[in-house]
Amino acid sequence: MPAPRLGHPLLGMGVGLRSVHYPHILAHQPEVDWFEIISENYMDSRGRPRYVLDQIAERYPIVMHGVSLSIGSTDPLNHEYLHKLKALAGSVNAHWVSDHVCWTGVAGRNTHDLLPVPLTEETLKHMVERIRIVQDVLERPFVLENPSSYVTFACSEMPEWEFISRMAEEADCGLLLDVNNVYVSSVNHDFDPVEYVENVPHERIVQCHLAGHTNCGTHLIDTHDGHVIDPVWELYRRAHQLTGGMSTLLEWDARIPEFPVVHAEVLKAKQHIADELERVAKGRNSSRDDSPITSGDAAIVTEPVVPHPAVLVTAEVE
Amino acid sequence: MNEPVHQLDRLQRWMQSVITHPEGVSAGIESETAREQFDIDVDEIETVISRSKALNSIERLHVYGNAYYARLIECMAGEFPATQTALGEEAFGGFVMGYLQVSPSTSYTLGDLGRKFPDYLAESRPPREIQGPDWADFLIELATLELAYSEVFDGPGEEQMELLRADDLLAISPDKWGDSRLRTAASLRLLRFQFPVQEYAAAVRQGNEAIVPQPYDTWLAINRRDYIVRRRPLPELAFVILEQLQQGAPLTDAIETAVADHNVDMTGFADRLREWFGSWTRDGYFVDVEID
Repeated sequence: MPAPRLGHPLLGMGVGLRSVHYPHILAHQPEVDWFEIISENYMDSRGRPRYVLDQIAERYPIVMHGVSLSIGSTDPLNHEYLHKLKALAGSVNAHWVSDHVCWTGVAGRNTHDLLPVPLTEETLKHMVERIRIVQDVLERPFVLENPSSYVTFACSEMPEWEFISRMAEEADCGLLLDVNNVYVSSVNHDFDPVEYVENVPHERIVQCHLAGHTNCGTHLIDTHDGHVIDPVWELYRRAHQLTGGMSTLLEWDARIPEFPVVHAEVLKAKQHIADELERVAKGRNSSRDDSPITSGDAAIVTEPVVPHPAVLVTAEVE
Repeated sequence: MNEPVHQLDRLQRWMQSVITHPEGVSAGIESETAREQFDIDVDEIETVISRSKALNSIERLHVYGNAYYARLIECMAGEFPATQTALGEEAFGGFVMGYLQVSPSTSYTLGDLGRKFPDYLAESRPPREIQGPDWADFLIELATLELAYSEVFDGPGEEQMELLRADDLLAISPDKWGDSRLRTAASLRLLRFQFPVQEYAAAVRQGNEAIVPQPYDTWLAINRRDYIVRRRPLPELAFVILEQLQQGAPLTDAIETAVADHNVDMTGFADRLREWFGSWTRDGYFVDVEID
């Protein structure tokens, strides 16, 4: 039986590092527990993004989060990319490196989207083999995140929670449980998000993601552009109770507010954890209470929205 | 549909061709590239993509199809804000969609997405209808400038290096000028334009009203200092000297070549040279000097 979080440290409440917040972070050095970076924004940088990251890495713990590994693709793994990833992880002393259970393109192309894989034995075998290779190259803890998705495949043979559980066990990797993604996919694919959270291997959950999403009425889109809604906090509380604690990170990637607003959002997690402890102390079973997790109060958006990810650092010109 | 139908590779190739089809997912399903993988009609889509309680299979695929172009257009607009302003959102989106057909992303980073965009605009420009610089030239030059800004911003720089100072230059004995080569900064770009595109781009980035300028020859030096991109318009003669130096010409040759090619009024020329080299060293254009 692996140790909780596979023995990796509990980093506390972190924030996704975004370039609009560089000036605030450098000037104020806020009391953030840790930062998560988008790996691809720094791997090749020889300018301000990398300069700022080096300063931040001197003061804060860093975790790397990628969007282009394409672990589920049938294209060959990009070893140039992997070696750049490894070099960056070494230079910022990343606690772990993460990416998504997805593919981003095939036939040499990158759609820059996190596309879902069919949940089949064939896919599972393919991904487990590739995860092992990635781990051998990186020589650093490797963690995979459940993505939000908008389609399911007729050929799928198992629920997503079973797929990622078996994947993590067979490849011996960590999991990044994005409770917002669980919620978004549960609405889109008509499954029970609580069943998902309760059945993944909790000792392998190294990190948790929180984010806002957009309600399109008939489906949800993972936009990272707002506050975390109550049903997602409910999933977070359950996951926290089941795992005994996860390094928690808030992602905010569109319509990004001032840094203190983003930081305050992730700090709400502390209150949710405290509430959970209080409920447990009072003898209430919070991991499976009677109230169903249902759609949040968010207004329905009818105009087109773009799902995460689209994180590009733009030039600063005098 | 033939058996076996759901091999991972075929499914990925099918889905990619469907969601990236410029005419939408239904056209994508009917396309030859998709049919090479799964020869199905739109009304057979549920054999590949399941429906949900709220959406049918086509509606679900639309989420990815719509997102593909929207996301990449948004990224291109972030890199080429002035070009987008000049064209207008709709036309810019159309150009990006055309660009993505001939240059789809093959890189792990969005930083490479716009690399060939100015070339694409140049290759797809309409025939000239007027003598001299036209609207298409303006757009191509604007995109070229914005691409240079991106490349200089995140490319190699000199922030961690000691640069050549004016005093270092003055210390070179004139009799050594013929053997002295100034090594220019890696971030330095020298660009010739037919329009003062930097003024239009600055207005857009500063949120000011951007007015398409009348054409006039513009010589720009772009570099990075303190991690910020800087641009300086130069007189043509100064630009040519700097260009010669960047190409590795010795100091004397650079100046003589530039002077020979231009009808230079030598009155006060030495003062102008001193002024130019003074500002270039202040701006960090030179890394060091090599004396043969």
